[in-house]
Amino acid sequence: MKPLAWLRPPAYRTQLWLLLLPYLLGTIVLVGVPALFTVGMAFTEFNGVARPQWSGLTNFQRLWASPVIRLSLRNSLIFILAAVPIRLLAALSLALLLQRRERLFGYYRAAIYLPTIIPEAAYALIWLWIFNPFYGPLNMVLAALGLPTSDWLGNANSAIMAIVLMACFQIGEGFIVLIAGLQNIPRALYEAATVDGASPWQAFWRITLPLLFPWLLLLTVRDIVMSLQNSFAPTYILTYGGPYYATTFVPLLVYEIAFDLFDFGLAAAVMVVTYLILGWLIVGLVNAVGGWRRDSEF
Amino acid sequence: MPQPAYKNLTADCRPPTARGVVSTGVTGRHRFLTVYLCSLPIRIIFVRGWWQLLLLILGILLLTACRGRSRAITFAVFGDPAELAAYESLVDAFHQQHSEITIELQHIPGQNDYRQRLAAQFTAGAPPDVFLLNYRRMAPFAVDGGLEPLTSYLTNSDLIQEADFYPATIVPFKWQGELWCIPQNVSSLVVYYNRDLFLSAGVPLPTDSWTRDDFLAAALALTQDTDGDGITDQYGVGLEASLFRLAPFVWQNGGEVVDDLDNPTRLTLDTPPARAAFQWLVDLQLRHQVAPSRVAEAAESSESRFLNGRLAMFFNSRRGVPTYRTINSFTWDIAPLPAGPVPAGILHSDGYCMAAAAQNKTAAWTFIEFANSVKGQTIIAASGRTVPSLITVAQSPAFLDGLPPASSHLFLDTIPMLRAVPTMSRWIAIEETAGREVERAFYGEATVDEAIAAAIQLTQPEFERAREQGGQ
Amino acid sequence: MKYQLPRLARHLLAGGASLLFLLPVYWMFVSALRAPGLPPPRTVEWWPADPHWGNYATLFTLLPMGRYLRNSLLVVAAATPLTLLTASWAGFALSQLPQPARGRLINLSVAFLLIPASAVWLFRFQLLRWFGLLDTLWGLIIPAIAASSPLFVLLYFWSFRRVPGELIEAARLDGAEVGQLWWRVAMPLVRPTTIAVAILTFVLYWSDFISPVLYIYRARWYTLPVGLQLIRQLDSTNWPLLLAAAALMTTPILLLFFVLQRTFLSNQSLSNLFDRS
Repeated sequence: MKPLAWLRPPAYRTQLWLLLLPYLLGTIVLVGVPALFTVGMAFTEFNGVARPQWSGLTNFQRLWASPVIRLSLRNSLIFILAAVPIRLLAALSLALLLQRRERLFGYYRAAIYLPTIIPEAAYALIWLWIFNPFYGPLNMVLAALGLPTSDWLGNANSAIMAIVLMACFQIGEGFIVLIAGLQNIPRALYEAATVDGASPWQAFWRITLPLLFPWLLLLTVRDIVMSLQNSFAPTYILTYGGPYYATTFVPLLVYEIAFDLFDFGLAAAVMVVTYLILGWLIVGLVNAVGGWRRDSEF
Repeated sequence: MPQPAYKNLTADCRPPTARGVVSTGVTGRHRFLTVYLCSLPIRIIFVRGWWQLLLLILGILLLTACRGRSRAITFAVFGDPAELAAYESLVDAFHQQHSEITIELQHIPGQNDYRQRLAAQFTAGAPPDVFLLNYRRMAPFAVDGGLEPLTSYLTNSDLIQEADFYPATIVPFKWQGELWCIPQNVSSLVVYYNRDLFLSAGVPLPTDSWTRDDFLAAALALTQDTDGDGITDQYGVGLEASLFRLAPFVWQNGGEVVDDLDNPTRLTLDTPPARAAFQWLVDLQLRHQVAPSRVAEAAESSESRFLNGRLAMFFNSRRGVPTYRTINSFTWDIAPLPAGPVPAGILHSDGYCMAAAAQNKTAAWTFIEFANSVKGQTIIAASGRTVPSLITVAQSPAFLDGLPPASSHLFLDTIPMLRAVPTMSRWIAIEETAGREVERAFYGEATVDEAIAAAIQLTQPEFERAREQGGQ
Repeated sequence: MKYQLPRLARHLLAGGASLLFLLPVYWMFVSALRAPGLPPPRTVEWWPADPHWGNYATLFTLLPMGRYLRNSLLVVAAATPLTLLTASWAGFALSQLPQPARGRLINLSVAFLLIPASAVWLFRFQLLRWFGLLDTLWGLIIPAIAASSPLFVLLYFWSFRRVPGELIEAARLDGAEVGQLWWRVAMPLVRPTTIAVAILTFVLYWSDFISPVLYIYRARWYTLPVGLQLIRQLDSTNWPLLLAAAALMTTPILLLFFVLQRTFLSNQSLSNLFDRS
């Protein structure tokens, strides 16, 4: 039996596009189009029951007039400004410490990576227990060491810090990427620097940091977006935005506006504004540090 | 019956030698397809057919897209496994009586999750045919034609009549001239108390006519630091700080929560009786310290303390009963709200609602009707979760079944005094925003006056939106 | 030479950091062994005096956890290989495409990466309804057809970029076509990436607690995260039981991780993962 003509493989370029097809088509259908619809929804009055009504910029006016929404935007920015630098710094110092090709270091790296892969609902529950003001292990240890304890989630000031602390234990991805980056820096550079009499500190500033720079920038951009998105599960399970809006970050507020109050237009508007602000933040950051280095990656 | 052709295709993927070359019994075209399909995985990986897998995936997608939807009536509920079991037996009983209709129970544990899915379903134009809604959450669905009005269904029913229900629970489901859902229960806020703690401390048990002073005296006596380490180990009172919990005390003071129940335009917590009730509630925690502070509540919730015998009086509706019935370590009972100047209680009620988009409305109604008939409500009442809204069931042994709480009849005695919060499309936004202010004041992070001012200011836009939407 | 801490100090520092990161997980497992219902002791407890392994059994009697476990396993068993397939296809094709198409697609992928999940919930529900995939495990699996996340495609892309162009060219001249190039030449060279993507995909589907709530109606198709929510629903302050459920949910991931971490985090493979030579 002769195979049918259309069963024969097409040209190389076409084949490549065919390989891309499931990913491209799937992502456009499952992610791209829904996201565009969400942006469109920001300009409508939509409660999920009746048909969406075009309402122009009303949602944005409402957003601007709402103290709670402004507060949540502020909270989110504070959270990002606190969490992202700490997370990056932690990932970088751990990567510097653990980059060695030495016995046991594989296990050390595995330990650092471990909290990152714990399911977020379980992870939030663990921390809810750890932060328990009376029985939680954290206060027990602090008390045993004679250090001051805290109400953690019960107090407006410490609640944000507690969420930041949680986020600082899930830095596995940044950590791995930076180790890979570090291990790719040619050793010869360091040897040359030593010959020139440079101190380790100078070597770090002149060689390590500049060569690691594209990785750091990429991670910063990714972290700005991801740490905001990832704040949903902790706030949803631990604090539900409290005490008194102290941990009401944008994702939780959007969830509440949409799925508790059925105000989908407003929720979409909040999302759009948030991502405009984040975009502006990222562009500003990239410009400030001297532009995106388009190297071989792109 | 002949097998459909595709069944033959996948039937035999053994190599030709193993099954004998000739004796397949499959026709030529089918054999080609069989060979084609069977060799596909190998060819995908090793030879050249890798891209055919794409076609296959697309084909499967298309096939599933054409799959028909089932004709069953969908019925959505939330709740813990005990509640689910009650609804499962309701559905079973219905199937026995109406074998021509199939009910598909859609259950989800959490209330938040339930609402989230309901939202997604409504948005997609595929709501469940029948679902449970609290009266406070009904209006946004009714205002835009999401719900099927049930007035005429109830009028024409042979099985149930409006007069069979407690009027207090029908009223909030009536809105803009129609009845939207059939109430399942007529629960109210009561005080659950740990009898053993009262007896061992020598505190007189709550009576049916106890006052706020009696209540406070008991709470003070039962708040104890048993091991003397400066941390209270046993609290007198546990209470969720929210507008919904505050409201009955405002009414007892002769105050109001909103200016006009039918046409609300603002919160009226700033009136003297409302303010006094708010202050009284806050004083429980802040001044008398008979209720857990925010930190103590975070360490262990009031309800958990009550369950573990370390909290004397806990405010809750009927919904706590199935859980409290699992308590073995002490005996407990219920008392009415401590009396204020005016008798008042607050209605808790869920109703069976029908989506306007339901395909088979007659069948959906048949189920709602059955669920709210004597038989249906008796089944649900057996779970202990509900105070039946049907007068006959509520007064029958199905509800007064001798199981704890011994004073279950108090739920019925309080019905004439029950009041409801206004039915309006933005009520939940108002209640939750104001609730955060109540909570803040309760835990001493703001004064009562600050909280009242903020609550009124932050909820004002929602009243205006409700008016714009015609959702009052 | 680079500056080096003394060997002992190095190990102390590194070991201390890793112990710190293991602490939350350790506390989860230890606290899950406490007796339920009792007020916890108010001192640091490194190992319970009377470990209650029965908490795990309670989970299974309280709820059909076994079924939830099976459903979760079914989802990851379908989604992980599918993701590896589609993500590596797309990554390979990207690495082979010439500019400017490649650059544009990379930018598009980065843009997709930034879209928050919440922006997608409502409309994906509608899509699944059209496809008739609501209330089936397929509804949870379907993003795997689109490589699950653009990140995985990018990871593969970066790895395939490392494969020497001459190798591919030579194979092509020998008459190999795309499928063979991908499977025979490229894939064997990026095994660490495959393992990394496999772990990440597994975690992604295993921990998803929003999708089952949105897209699954019948209790018999619930997955483990829903089970965890159910346990919370039953008693939100029964810590030993809650943490036992959390531990149950975490254990399969830990097992997978320990099986694969040698390849994933070993000295050699790590530098291969993102090598930019």
